[in-house]
Order: sequence, then structure tokens, then C-alpha cells
Amino acid sequence: MLKRFLLTLCLGLFTLSSPLLAKAPERLIITAIPDDSAENMREFFGLIARHIQASTGIPTEYVHVENYAATVTALATGRAHLAWFGAVTTAQAYMMMGDELEVVAARDIDKGFISYFVANADSGIAPVKDLKELAQLAKGKNWNFTFGSKSSTSSHLMPRSFFADQSGQRPEQVFRTVAYSGSHDVVVQKVANGEFHIGALGQPPYERASDAIKAKAPIIYTTPKFTNYCFATKKSLGRDTIDAIHAALLSLHASEEGRKALGYLKSQGFVDANISEWMSYVELLKSGVDIGK
Amino acid sequence: MHTKRPWGAWAAIVVVAVLLVGALTAVSWDISVLRDSAQRSMAFGRMGAWLLAFASPELDQAFLQHCWALTLQTLSAALLATFLAIIAALVLAMGSSKAVSVGHDKQGVLGRWASRFTCSLSRLIQDVLRGVPDFVWAVILVALIGLGPLTGALALALSMTGILAKVYSELWDSVAPKRYEQVRILGSGRLGILAYGIMPLAARSVQSFTLMRAECAIRNAAVIGAVGGGGLGADIWYQIQFGAWSKVTTLLLFTLALTLSADLLSNLIRRQLRTDPNHPRAKNDEPLWRQIGRNYLAVGIMAVALGWSLWFMGWGNNAPPGQQPRNFLAPATELFSGQAWQHLSFFKRMLSPEFDLAALGIGEERVVEARKEAGKSVELFVKHSPWEFYKKEAWQGWNAALNNWFVWKVITSAGVPLAMAIVGTLLGMGAAALLSYPHSFSFMWESSQFTGARLPWWANVLRRTQLVLARLTGLVARGVPEVMWAFLFIAFFGPGILAGALAIALHTAGVLVRVFSESIDNIPYRRFEQSFSGSLPVCFGLVAVPVAWRDWLTYSFFQFESNVRMAVVLGIVGAGGLGFQFSFHFEWFMFEKAATYLLMIIALTVGIDRLSRALNLSRAG
Repeated sequence: MLKRFLLTLCLGLFTLSSPLLAKAPERLIITAIPDDSAENMREFFGLIARHIQASTGIPTEYVHVENYAATVTALATGRAHLAWFGAVTTAQAYMMMGDELEVVAARDIDKGFISYFVANADSGIAPVKDLKELAQLAKGKNWNFTFGSKSSTSSHLMPRSFFADQSGQRPEQVFRTVAYSGSHDVVVQKVANGEFHIGALGQPPYERASDAIKAKAPIIYTTPKFTNYCFATKKSLGRDTIDAIHAALLSLHASEEGRKALGYLKSQGFVDANISEWMSYVELLKSGVDIGK
Repeated sequence: MHTKRPWGAWAAIVVVAVLLVGALTAVSWDISVLRDSAQRSMAFGRMGAWLLAFASPELDQAFLQHCWALTLQTLSAALLATFLAIIAALVLAMGSSKAVSVGHDKQGVLGRWASRFTCSLSRLIQDVLRGVPDFVWAVILVALIGLGPLTGALALALSMTGILAKVYSELWDSVAPKRYEQVRILGSGRLGILAYGIMPLAARSVQSFTLMRAECAIRNAAVIGAVGGGGLGADIWYQIQFGAWSKVTTLLLFTLALTLSADLLSNLIRRQLRTDPNHPRAKNDEPLWRQIGRNYLAVGIMAVALGWSLWFMGWGNNAPPGQQPRNFLAPATELFSGQAWQHLSFFKRMLSPEFDLAALGIGEERVVEARKEAGKSVELFVKHSPWEFYKKEAWQGWNAALNNWFVWKVITSAGVPLAMAIVGTLLGMGAAALLSYPHSFSFMWESSQFTGARLPWWANVLRRTQLVLARLTGLVARGVPEVMWAFLFIAFFGPGILAGALAIALHTAGVLVRVFSESIDNIPYRRFEQSFSGSLPVCFGLVAVPVAWRDWLTYSFFQFESNVRMAVVLGIVGAGGLGFQFSFHFEWFMFEKAATYLLMIIALTVGIDRLSRALNLSRAG
């Protein structure tokens, strides 16, 4: 055993010291921000990994993490090669990596993404025409509110900024508690079982929820459209590899497993995308927008 | 000088009372759930649904296999982390133990300074290791060695090193120098004194704490999953959030089984190493080879465990769900190449914490002026002079002025975890003290050894049932991680300090009842014999508790320190305060501000550590 360990050690050192291999990685590591259940993400991002492996010929593996910051760190330090980011994480990665960051592709729906505000059915909150109305309704009601993750775009930043724009108030001033439940599916679950009166989440996770849950947590408001998720990579991966991945993602609908994954992602297919479409988020974050401190 | 009535106990009671009142008033305890009837009925509904689901664990074949795989992963990562931590902690503790690094021999001025410096430096290192939350170590290690279970294990090892080194060094320091004087007088060096004098005398307490920590590592190893390693902790965390209680039950059963086996194993080891020659079960006439053989057996078991965890992580079927198995040890080789360390520059900004000096009027004039004009600088005594300290408005005014300074916000955010930890620890201590009577083996099982009474069979059965029930309660209370209790109470009371404090109290009660009754059981029976007056509870209250009291205090203070850290972590899951603020800034990559919060967390750790050393609570041997 020791011998094998030493062998691995030598091999590892050798691999690292040879600059030739740095260009085309032996193994592509894909990771993603944890905005859904680990089981779901492992299954469907595993399918995407299989499609990319078949298409590019490079062994590809999806590694699931439970921490948003870990995905950005992994991509920025070259420990993951392809990362599925939300708009906020894309902007964060850009602020950490600068022009080294490259957006490979995004879904068709990511260019006009919407979020929902949902409310517990028993609490008798009727649909509202805008968030100002919701803020007025909430006055003195002791309602609880939940976002998804702090670093999420469609279950935190955008709902929060729409709320602030329309009502002129912070959610913390209106609701009794404002909590972060962790991920989209948890938000709808917790609103449905009455732990929270109101919550905010993105459209695809809401549509994935079972009808029973949807009935217990009906939509009371739909936000305006905004840009969201994308697959991002690091330029140092090499032009050829990036192009191969790009081609693989754009042809995702061509394979059986790709179609399954697209069904999960609630999308028709991937399209070209450029970092410039996310620059408004970088500006937004730099401007010191309220992020719920 | 001896005084008839020691004032120390009274001072302690007053301090605890003041802390309690402070904790209850300084932060807002939201108990509206208990008062508002609509909210109450909803909360009860959720609890009911939870209990119902809890009674029917998910026993699907595939899910059981999934749980088994997770158990193995958790075990291998936690074992590896524990072994690494023990080795590193032994080395670090040599530095931070005054008895070892400074010693009692006369040294030159230079030598004394050098050893004092080593001592302070080692203590600071262990405080940093302990204070930084383990998920932060994990994210930093991602930059060094990538994603995978090894990253989680190393993160766990780093924070465990901090904990164990503190405990070891404190236990070593608390061995009275008189007891190892012979070794010193015979001319042994400081390492010799440690090996032949101090370590054997402190060995039992050291073992006890190491086993306890290893158990905690197995239970709370959620960090392994945070960076892509799988493991029970991360899965429980997720399933609770999602409210999949039947799956949680199954996962918990696996965790409890792990905890129970660790418990039984440590009990076995304790019994094997019992040295009290007056204990009725003590074996004084054993042949030498059996006495020595036990030590080799212990070392052998440890070697097998370490070997297995290394093999499993490297070559076993170790895939986290949905991934192919591969050698997760290989990335560690990158630690030996310079390249990996370069990635650390990603966190460089953590080294320049934000002190917001402009608010105090220090720094560039232009910036200071801008802050003043915006009305966001600290102008402390403009409205109220210091002589108005008896007015309430003055204090409010000063607080408002100070709130313009970022560092002040950081300092006050520490109130939340402190309040949670104080209330939680006191509640837990009280519960553990009450429960330790039925939990005690000597009072419930072997009491006839010192009372001489012969009880009818039904009375024996009654006592033994009490013992089993108390042990089960304790096992469940500590076997379920704090975070899990927190989520349960959050489901009931809503997110807030109350849920956090209750979670800490419950877990503390479970941990403390075990060590409390262990220290009761360690008392030789002849001490009860001479003062037994016919009533077991009276004997327990008037003899056993006073004898064990100092040990109880030691354990409680250790637990308080770890509760403060836990309260910081619970802040992350929704109770607010320091932990929430830190993780928030860290996850938004505002490293400068995150670093300030981190400094506050470390300052808390250092403060409590120095306090416990000053009070000299620990006692070994």
C-alpha cells in the first residue's frame, strides 16, 4: 500500500511539474451552485457531464458542493473547469478573476428569467399587482419572509431589488423575520408547510415542485424579466477545449441524456452568451446595492 | 490566609446571574410564537407532522444503501481527520503548555523570552485554528487541493487540532508540578518530563477528551459535504431544510448507531484502563502480559482504523453518490508543490481587515471630511459629555454615534452568540445535573456495593429501567447534532435566538450528562460508604456532587467555549449575529470586512481561553 502511495505521490509531482499537461486537462471537473436538492443536481448535471464527455472526448465529472463560495473559489483557482453560476456568482467570479472569466453558454430562458413571490395558501394572501401593494398589505401582520440563498440571484438579489424599487422599503422593514432557507426548493417547501408566510424563488424550481406543493404555495406576484444563469470557465483552459465544450453545450438537445437534462432545466436548449450581458450585475454589486446585510 | 466563608463561590454566582440577565436583555428574544394562538397552532401542526414522519423512517433498499455509503465516507474522513488532529495537536500542545515549553528550571533571560514567545505563539495558533469556522477552512483548502472528501477531512482536522491542542495543553498544565518532581530532579529534560512525568499522569483525561472529540467529529462532519465529499452530516442538513423527515429519521438512525458504537467502544476502553485498586471490579492479580497486552491491543485497533480510512479514501469504493470512485488522497501531493500554495493569493485580501478608521477621523483628510459631511463619523461627546453617564439618553446617543463605525457593529454582533451560549450552557448544565443521578452507574446499578442493602428484584428492575431511560435520553440528546436540534426548534419557534439557545441547551445536556455521571462513577465507593445515611438521593446530593463538582465545572467551561463556537455557526443557519455577518461577507467575497468579523470570532475564542486558564479550572490525573 505504501509503495502504491509513494508511486501516486511521485506521479502527482511529475504531473504537476510538466507544463505540457496544463493546457488540456486530463479530467474536466464541472461544478454548480447548489440551488436544488443534491440528488437532483447529481443526476441531471451528471447527464450533462456525460454528454460533454461523449462530445469532447475528455473524461468529465460533476462534483456537487453545498456552498456557493466554494464554486467560485474552485473555478477561480482552477480546481474546477466549468461552473454553473447564477448571475450574482458570475459577477462575483468576474470581480475576482477579471477578464480571465469566460461565459461559455446560457439557456434560452436565462436571457429573460423571472422570479415568483409565493404565499402560503392558508394565510389568505391574495395575488398583488405590484410589490408596493404587498408591502402595504404586510403592515402590522407579523408575516415571515424567506429568500433562498444569500448569494442567489433569482431567489434573493433580484426579488429584493424589485421589492426595494417598487415599495421604497427593505423587506426587513416590512416583515417580522427575513430568513435565508438555503435553496429554491426549500423556499417553496417551507412556504407550503406554513413555516413562512411568503417566499421568493426562481421560475424553473417552482415548476419542478409537485402539484400538491404548488397548490399550497400559490404565486402572488411575478417579477419583471432579468438575465440569470450561465456556464462559465477560465480562459487558461485553452481556446480549443473551450470551443469543444461550447459546441457540446449548444448540441445538448441532440443526445438522449442532454434532452433529459434540458427537461430538468426547463429549457429548449443552450445559446451563445457573452460576459458583457452580465456586466450590469457587476456594476450593480459594485454600486453597493442592498444585499440584505 | 484562610477565611471561614470563601467569597469565591458567591462571586461566581453573582457573575453568572449578571451574565444571565445581560444575555436575556441585551438581545431580543422573540417568543411571539408562544403567545399568538394562530402561530401556536400552526407550530404544533408542524411538530405533529414531524413526529408522525419521524415514526416512519424511510426503509427503501436504495436509500439504505445510500446511507451506508455515506456512513463509510463519514467514518473514513472523520477518522483520518482525528488522527491527523491528534498528531498535530500533540506537537502544538507541547508549545502551548507552560509546563512543557517554559518549564520550571532556571533559564537565561534570552532562553526565558524565547520559550515565553513560543508559548504565546502556539496558543495564538491554536486559537486561530479553533476560532475560524470549519467551512472557511474548507473553502480555503479548495484553492489548495481542489474539491473532494479529503478537503473536508483536512478542514475538519484543522479545527480539531485547535480544540485538542487547547485541551491537551490545559490538562498537562493542570498536573501539579509536585507529582512529577522526581523525574525533574533526576535530571530529565523538558521532553523527558513530558513523556515520563506529565503525560502518564494526564493520560486518562486526555483519552476521555480525545474520544469525546472524535465522536463529535463523526457526528458533526457536515463540512465534508460542503466541498464535495458527501457524508452523513451534509445530507442530514439538507434533508432537514427540505423537511423530508422520514429520510432524516433513517439518516439519524445511522448517525446514532455510529455514536452508540463510539460510546460503547470508549466505555470499554475506559473500563479496561480503570486504575482504582479499591473498585470492586478492579483486577489486581492479572499477569503482566495481560496488563501490557491491552496497550498493544489499543494501538493495534488504532492502526487498523487509520489503515482502513487511508485505504478507503485512496483505493476503496469511496465515490460520493453519483461520482466515480477515485483516489482522493492524490490531491494531497499537491501540498508539496509550490503551485498549490500560490492559489492562496486568492484570499490575500483577508490579510487587510477593514477597520474603518475614517469614521474615527484617522487617515486621509479628504475621506474623513467626506464621512463627516455625510454625518457618518463618530462624534462621541458632542451631544452628551462623559459627565452625563447617569442619563439613559446619553448612552443611547453614544451608541448611535458609535454605530457609524463599522468595527463597533462587529463588536456588538458578538452579543448574539454570547447570549445564546450563556443561556444554552446554563440550561444544559441544569438539565445534565438533574439527569446525572439516574444516569449514574454506581447509584443505579452497583449501589448495593456501598449501601449494603439487599433490594427486592422489582426495585432493582425499577432502578435499571431508570438507568437505561436516562442513558437513552442522553444518547439521543447528544447524538443528534446541534444544527439538527436548531432546525427542529426553528420549525417550531421560527428562526431566532430562542431556537438556537434551546438547541445548544439540549445538546449540552446530552454531552454533559455523560461526563458528569462519568466523574460520579469514578469516585471510589469507600467515600460513599462512610457517609451513607440511608437515602441514595441525599448521598448523591451531599457527597457525590460536591466531590465531582470541580470536574463538573471544568467540563461545563469547556462546553461553554465550544457552545460559543457552535452559536457562531448557528448564526449562519438563521439565528443572526456574528456568525451570520461573517459568513455573509465571506460568501460575497467581501474579504476585508469578513476578516474583521473573523478577528472578532478569534478574539472571542482567545478571551474565553485566557479566562479559563486564569481561573485554572481544569484538573488532571
